[in-house]
Amino acid sequence: MLITFFFILFAGLAIGCAVALVAQRNPLYSAISLIGVFLSLSSLYLMLSAPFIAAVQVIVYAGAIMVLVVFVIMLLNVTAERRRRQRLAFLAPLAALLAAILIGEVIFILNAVSVNPPVVSSEVGLTTSIGVGLFTKYLLPFEITSILLLMALVGAMTLARRTPILAAVGRLSADASSDMPEAEVKE
Amino acid sequence: MDAIGQGPQLSWYLALSAILFTIGVVGVIIKRNVIAMFMCIELMLNAVNLTFVAFSSFFRDVTGQLFVFIVMTVAAAEAAVGLGIIIAIFRNRETLDVDDASVLKL
Repeated sequence: MLITFFFILFAGLAIGCAVALVAQRNPLYSAISLIGVFLSLSSLYLMLSAPFIAAVQVIVYAGAIMVLVVFVIMLLNVTAERRRRQRLAFLAPLAALLAAILIGEVIFILNAVSVNPPVVSSEVGLTTSIGVGLFTKYLLPFEITSILLLMALVGAMTLARRTPILAAVGRLSADASSDMPEAEVKE
Repeated sequence: MDAIGQGPQLSWYLALSAILFTIGVVGVIIKRNVIAMFMCIELMLNAVNLTFVAFSSFFRDVTGQLFVFIVMTVAAAEAAVGLGIIIAIFRNRETLDVDDASVLKL
């Protein structure tokens, strides 16, 4: 009974924060609502006996990603969204239609399919089982993920720099070639 | 209802995840600020993660949680690249409104 109460509490918190995220005009308040969603989802992961994922959720999402987002909001000094006519007027009805279709699908599926396996406590969400799975059966996806992170690192630096990367490389090589005759003169 | 007495069912988690995903879709469509759209995408990723974790713990298979781990890494990479693009857009156009950035050329 208690766990039902907690599910309803955190599910309500998650939905409320998600609605606030969409309804807010100031991006900073949206970011704080999103942190609320992440924290309540982390509590739900704990209730699903997945403590590792819950911890990673707080550390990576609420910690790293949201710090980056809030940092960019502060850096760019973003003001609240102005209320003005949308360039594409059909977007709001389209959003309502899509939401109706998605919710309808979910209701249909939840009525048509009844998957309710019994809840059994097990070793599955612990760090040990995740580590074993990650480094034995799913080693290749893990390595590919690290390559993806490297690419993201290089890509983010390339995108955010002021001078184009090719010009910077060209200047570097020009400097290197202009250094060479100097060294010869000294000899 | 005796379903309530047994604690949260798998379908409850799936319904919650679907609701969060729908809110994310609606947000991406109706928001005009690039950063707000970006955060709605993060919300959709999290909704899918909840589905993975719920299936994983109800069927006692660790694969779902490994997928969540990889999705989180992809989300981190997406955040880094996405925010780099947002900074580049702001530098070129002095705005974050997507309606002002509807053509690729300046």
